[in-house]
Formats: sequence, C-alpha cells, structure tokens
Amino acid sequence: MLDKVKAIGCTGKRDRGQVVLTGELLDLDTCLDTIFTGWARCWNAAEYRFPACVEARHLERLDYFQSFPHLATFPVTLDRDNDNIGEFARGHACNPQGVVDLPKLSATDHVLTPAACYHVYIELEGEVLNAPRYITTRATCFRNEDEYTPLERQWNFSMREIVCLGSAAEVEDFLTRTTYVINHFAAAIGLPAEWADATDPFFSPASNPKYLFQKLEPVKRELIYGEDLAIASTNFHRDYFGEAFQITRHGQHAYSGCVAFGMERWLSAFLGAYGETWEQWSCLEEFKP
Amino acid sequence: MSIDTRETLRQWIAGVSDKTTPENLADDTPLFRDGILKSIQISDLILYIEELTGRSVDVEQIKPGVFRNIDTIYHNFFAHDHA
Repeated sequence: MLDKVKAIGCTGKRDRGQVVLTGELLDLDTCLDTIFTGWARCWNAAEYRFPACVEARHLERLDYFQSFPHLATFPVTLDRDNDNIGEFARGHACNPQGVVDLPKLSATDHVLTPAACYHVYIELEGEVLNAPRYITTRATCFRNEDEYTPLERQWNFSMREIVCLGSAAEVEDFLTRTTYVINHFAAAIGLPAEWADATDPFFSPASNPKYLFQKLEPVKRELIYGEDLAIASTNFHRDYFGEAFQITRHGQHAYSGCVAFGMERWLSAFLGAYGETWEQWSCLEEFKP
Repeated sequence: MSIDTRETLRQWIAGVSDKTTPENLADDTPLFRDGILKSIQISDLILYIEELTGRSVDVEQIKPGVFRNIDTIYHNFFAHDHA
C-alpha cells in the first residue's frame, strides 16, 4: 500500500502509518466525505466540530481505560516551572533516535480523541430529547497500535460519523436505513464489500464481560472491503451512553447508535478496487454533489 | 418443569435488574436490547446458568442471540434436560 501511496504523489515517509494527502487522493477524500455528509443531511443531522482532546474523566465514566487502555494516546505538556522548562530548552530534547527526553510533566487530564462520537454524548449530557437527535462530525482520531499500515492502520486517522440518539426504535430505524443507503452506494459503484459482525478491540478481551457481550449479542457490524479492511461500521449502543451521560428520551435513558466511516481506509479501498487516478474513480460521478 | 425453569430465570433476572419486575418480564422480552440487563451482567448470567444446569458453559461455542430473552436461554441451555 505504501508504494501506491507514494506512486500517486503522497508522502509515506511519516512513521506510525501516517500519510500526507494531497492532489487527487485528497480530492477523493473530500468527495467521499461530501457524499457521507449528504447522507447525514437526509437525517437533518447537525454538523459539529469538536476539540482534538477529550477530558479523561469523561472516558473514565465509560470504563474506557479498563476496556481500551492500550489504544489511548495522552497529550502531555511540560511542568510550567521555569527551571524545569529552562533545563529542557538548554538540553538536547531528542536523542539520535528521535526520542524526546522529557523533564517533569504537568498533570495529564486529557486524551487525544479515540473515536469521534464520544464528544457527542459529552456535549449532550443531561439533555431531555423531545425528538430523536442526529449529529454528524469528522474527527482526527488517535489509536496506539502494535503495527501500522498507511491508509489502513494509522496512529491518527480521520473518522466521519453520523450519530443518532432517541428511543430504541428510532435508533434501530436510523441504523437500518443508513445501512441500506451504504449498501446501495457500494453496489452502485461496484465496491466488493460485505457486512460482518464485529467486536471492539478490547484489552485482555477474555477477561472483559463487555467483549463477551459483544460476541454473544452482536451490536457492531463492519463493512469489510477485501479480506479484512473495515471501512465502515454500524454500532448499536443501546442505552449505554444515555445512562452514562443522563440523556433521556420519553422519560428513559436515550438509546444511541452511530455509523462510522474510516476515511483513509475508503481511500485504500478505492486504490485497491479501481486504481490510482481520478479517471479510474469515475464510478463516483453520479454521487458527486 | 420448563415453566419452573423459566420462572426461576425470571426471578433471578428481575432480581439483578433495576429496570423490571417479574410481572413485567415476559418470556420474549429482549433482555439486553431493552436494557433489562447490562452488558457487564452477561458473565453473572452465564454463571447462574452454570449453577442451574450443573454444566460449564463454553462461551466459544455459543452462537449470537442465545441470551436474547428467557425463551432463547431456555431453549439453548435447558430444553434438553426437559425433553
């Protein structure tokens, strides 16, 4: 994949799977995102742009650090003590391997966003919903992984999400209809992809009842391109976030569900399925706004 | 016998849930979808089924949907005992 990325003029020289997008591949990203947000508009979804960081205390309420500690990336800052900063400034910050020799750090109370939709539930905390609420957002998400592949498994990547909060029936209707739209789109452009039940990448899954639950009561489905590249997912959270953030609908904890698109992975799928030039992506013509 | 088993399950589920009572818990009430049980309670449910049947549950062999409601639990873990 790195060869293909380089071949179309994007640099693949960043580590941890990171790539720089420009030219036609960036145009493709923009085009696909416009199509996905068009589906969000069908639900009158409000567009939100959230900060890059999430307060750790909010993720703690979701047991995030018990379920996904291995994925977390923490933003750190130097302790503001002048001597501490001065010593760092005078020294050699990086060793020859590029590793930073950090001095005393400030207390860390944030996490770099691991998934776009967490912000939505935090934002709506305590709300009483008089109607189902639809929100879309795109975020740069950070996940610390064992291995990285450009466009497919990156330390940070772009995720477009459409989120629905409402009653169970409203959320299920949203997921069903949006899945239908995605299926229609994939079929129309001839993208070989199929849905499969999935589980989230829990830490020590065998000892985590939440993993067991996802395995036995599937609430997550992934759209798989090729052998194993998940390019989109649907997630039915039941009232998990509604209860955690006291969001209610009809006097009960709101249900929620989301549809997520891994933007770089869609680019990888297009490169693999069609080729490396805009002319080869002509299947998108009828969907372009 | 099967009615007793279902009733036993109903009493246990209603006892650990803060969302229902035995009277409101039908055999086909979705347990997790309706929030009667929380995801983290699936381990307790499996342990309780093991206690009732006297057999260990191999979670790797279980198909999705087995714990959907009292009926599905009964048919997958107890029906053979009562055949």
